[in-house]
Amino acid sequence: MDLLYELVTDYTLRTVALGAALLGMVGGSLGSYAVLRGRSLIGDAVAHAALPGIAGAFLLTGSMNPLVLMLGAATTGLAAALLVETTAHTTRVPYDSALALMLSAFFGLGLVLMTYLQRHAGASQAGLDAFLFGQAAALVTRDVYVMAALGGIALVMMLLLWKELKLLSFNPDFGHSLGLPMQLLNGLLTTLIVVAIVIGLQTVGVVLMSAVLIAPTVAARQWTNRLGRMVALAAGIGAATGVAGAVVSASMRNLPTGPTIVLCMGAVVAMSMLLAPERGLLWRMGGPRTAAPSSSNSSFSTSSPADS
Amino acid sequence: MSPQAEVQLVAAVTAVACALPGAFLVLRRLSMMSDAISHAILPGIVVGFMLTESLASPLLIAGAAATGVLTVVLVERIEGTGLVREDAAIGLVFPVLFSIGVVLLARYASDVHLDVDAVLLGELAFVPFDRLEWGGIDLGPRALWVMGTVLLLNAAFLTAFYKELKLSTFDAQLAATLGFIPGVLHYVLMSLVSVTAVSAFDAVGSILVVALMVAPPATAYLLTDRLDRMIVLSAGLGVGYALVGYAGAAALDASIAGSMATVAGLLFGVTLVAAPERGLVATWRRQHRHTARFSAQLLAAYLANPSTPPVPLSEASNRLHDRFGWLPSHTQALISDLRDQDLITVRSGHLACTEAGQQLADEAAQHAA
Amino acid sequence: MTDVALDIQGCTVAYHDTPVLWDASLTVPRGTITGVLGPNGAGKTTLLKAVLGLVPVASGRIQVFGDTYAAQQDRVGYVPQRGSVDWDFPTNALDVVLMGLYGQLGWFRRPGAHENEQARQALRDVGMLDYTDRQISQLSGGQQQRVFLARALVQDADLYLMDEPLQGVDATTERTIMQLLHNLRDAGKAVVVVHHDLHTVADYFDRVLLLNKRAVASGPVASVFTDANVSATYGTEMRASTEAH
Repeated sequence: MDLLYELVTDYTLRTVALGAALLGMVGGSLGSYAVLRGRSLIGDAVAHAALPGIAGAFLLTGSMNPLVLMLGAATTGLAAALLVETTAHTTRVPYDSALALMLSAFFGLGLVLMTYLQRHAGASQAGLDAFLFGQAAALVTRDVYVMAALGGIALVMMLLLWKELKLLSFNPDFGHSLGLPMQLLNGLLTTLIVVAIVIGLQTVGVVLMSAVLIAPTVAARQWTNRLGRMVALAAGIGAATGVAGAVVSASMRNLPTGPTIVLCMGAVVAMSMLLAPERGLLWRMGGPRTAAPSSSNSSFSTSSPADS
Repeated sequence: MSPQAEVQLVAAVTAVACALPGAFLVLRRLSMMSDAISHAILPGIVVGFMLTESLASPLLIAGAAATGVLTVVLVERIEGTGLVREDAAIGLVFPVLFSIGVVLLARYASDVHLDVDAVLLGELAFVPFDRLEWGGIDLGPRALWVMGTVLLLNAAFLTAFYKELKLSTFDAQLAATLGFIPGVLHYVLMSLVSVTAVSAFDAVGSILVVALMVAPPATAYLLTDRLDRMIVLSAGLGVGYALVGYAGAAALDASIAGSMATVAGLLFGVTLVAAPERGLVATWRRQHRHTARFSAQLLAAYLANPSTPPVPLSEASNRLHDRFGWLPSHTQALISDLRDQDLITVRSGHLACTEAGQQLADEAAQHAA
Repeated sequence: MTDVALDIQGCTVAYHDTPVLWDASLTVPRGTITGVLGPNGAGKTTLLKAVLGLVPVASGRIQVFGDTYAAQQDRVGYVPQRGSVDWDFPTNALDVVLMGLYGQLGWFRRPGAHENEQARQALRDVGMLDYTDRQISQLSGGQQQRVFLARALVQDADLYLMDEPLQGVDATTERTIMQLLHNLRDAGKAVVVVHHDLHTVADYFDRVLLLNKRAVASGPVASVFTDANVSATYGTEMRASTEAH
């Protein structure tokens, strides 16, 4: 009860919880598409690749304005994502190697720029730490407004392009045969995912970002077989675990926010994978007349009343 | 040895130690697994550190390496449920393990000297300050001994099991039927990757370990087709990153490991564009050459075919557009090219194949055989 | 108005330096059903993808209803190979069929009651109305194939390109699908089917393309589907009438 009271009255906790909720909501919904397309780890690469963008933006403008830094982060994040796709498409270097390479090389460049800034422009180590692990406690109202505005735009775009993005994720060749510009849509989706990552960096940081995109989706997927419900549920799980992580971390000393959020998400994933009806592991162990979900050729017993 | 030379030497030894298993990570599609391992070892390091109170203890390395293997097992188990794909499983496991490490550190070890950013970023410049002494004699930087040992370990493993690794990478089934137990080899390889990552983290940090493991073989993969050359080239590239990266860092007074990773990325970028056989430019030019060659073969075969009605030069553009979809400009350029090379000729206003052109037509028949 | 639905002339497609399709030609009249047959790696799927602009063509003239594909693509229905998608995707049969209407719907518009009715009709046509709300991973291979077919039917196209629509399908489903395809043909549409079973060619198709990188032979089944042509296509002694590969 005390916590609930604080959540409403305590400025810091309220701001952090709002930020975490936004991050979880936007990350969870857009992350769904990354996971469905077999691009789960793109978030990891984009998040790491944001560092040189942030440092570069600061170096060029001298500004600490969150919008300027986010623009920088989005630029290099998107560049890394495109380089990964180009490398994997045009050469024999496998996708995951391209991902690991771009991730670490961009991060290395960011580290060079950051250490250069620290030693020459007097920037503090704190900036780098905040970027790595997030610094949710430092969120201010203005940050939350920026997150809400950018995240809102990304979600509206996702809803407007709902059926196109669904087709892109399920069967891009067929979408192409309908005359839809699948490559453009692919670029757009990547941009939306980059936005989701960039607005979350200050809250959870680089290293844990991939979990924010993946965990809510994986949890939600176990409970429903419909894309719409899954994305909505992922957004809800993301927001709820975000708030839960913020509250739990505020209630105990020495419990950093980002990792706490990720651990909450991990718990929900584990619970979903065990308990969800039909797909859940315990459910599958219990019932004899259940089908393994991932085997595409499984013939389903037609006697079960699945039609409505 | 001067401290600068020591730093460069450690950087080079670390880079080579990481590069050696890298070829197999790239070829076995395990690159992101190495990224996961390098992050997920944090809780192992923290627990090991809490128990031994030393970053140098072999126990700590063993504990962290065990966490690395645990990561691999967890990812495989989660993927094995059929509920989650491999890439999503990787992206779930390592943030959770990393978070556990951060929380453990923050709650139970906040008074000890171990920063998470030290684990993630490392600092090569500090290497000369941590020295190994034995009986009062200075044996050099401790990191040099640690990474030297890891380098030897990796080299010994590769040498001893080279053909088994090679076979199980390219044909796991055949390897299994020959009794090579690719599963065991897989876990030994991943254990080595874990040990390498743990040992390297306080020098270069766990994020940049990934650069040193993946960038050299990925670059070498664009330069050679042979596994042995790929490994040797990887090792050479690692030394290159160390030397050039160090020079860059010294000039800018910036992070050495970051600079090495940047050099790795730049070298990959240059190779991606300019590699002699597999670079983007070479591929693009070859494709154009092939397309031109195919056009020549198609035209020669068309003209050499006895059932083709005669093609008057004046109607060539129209006829070949209908037959092959070629634009008039393409047709004109092709005809003048082939006439220059004396592969086709014009006899009484009609296109015809020369004797040399007949060979082109035969090549075309080869394609369709 | 032309009577030719699809005209491919001298189509050459290469991956790197290796041609996978060499100087292949095919003419498909309206109101016919054409089988495309050939051994594995003969370029059957590539041929369909070349028409759809999914693979770059090194050389070749491809016309759809006497025009470019881009201009006529709303008249072309495509059934990709069943194995080309992830059937664990969170969606149901009706939703997959509705995808066939996404092109006609245009940007930003969602399918409504009218589209739902069209999709249900298509599912009824393929005998899958009872499975409308079924998650697609819970359908058998034959049922998944029928859902893909319904998705193409709902497009109400004039030319259908189908990649192995009978792959992994039980005998009953195979009969149902072939009946549907023959109905399409009888309604004046052109149907091109990548197929692998030599036994059934004479029963199923009016015309046939025997493909092995190049078009070995194409035309009416009666004149083209001969022992000699089939052997030349598969590279071994083959009998068109009785032996399968």
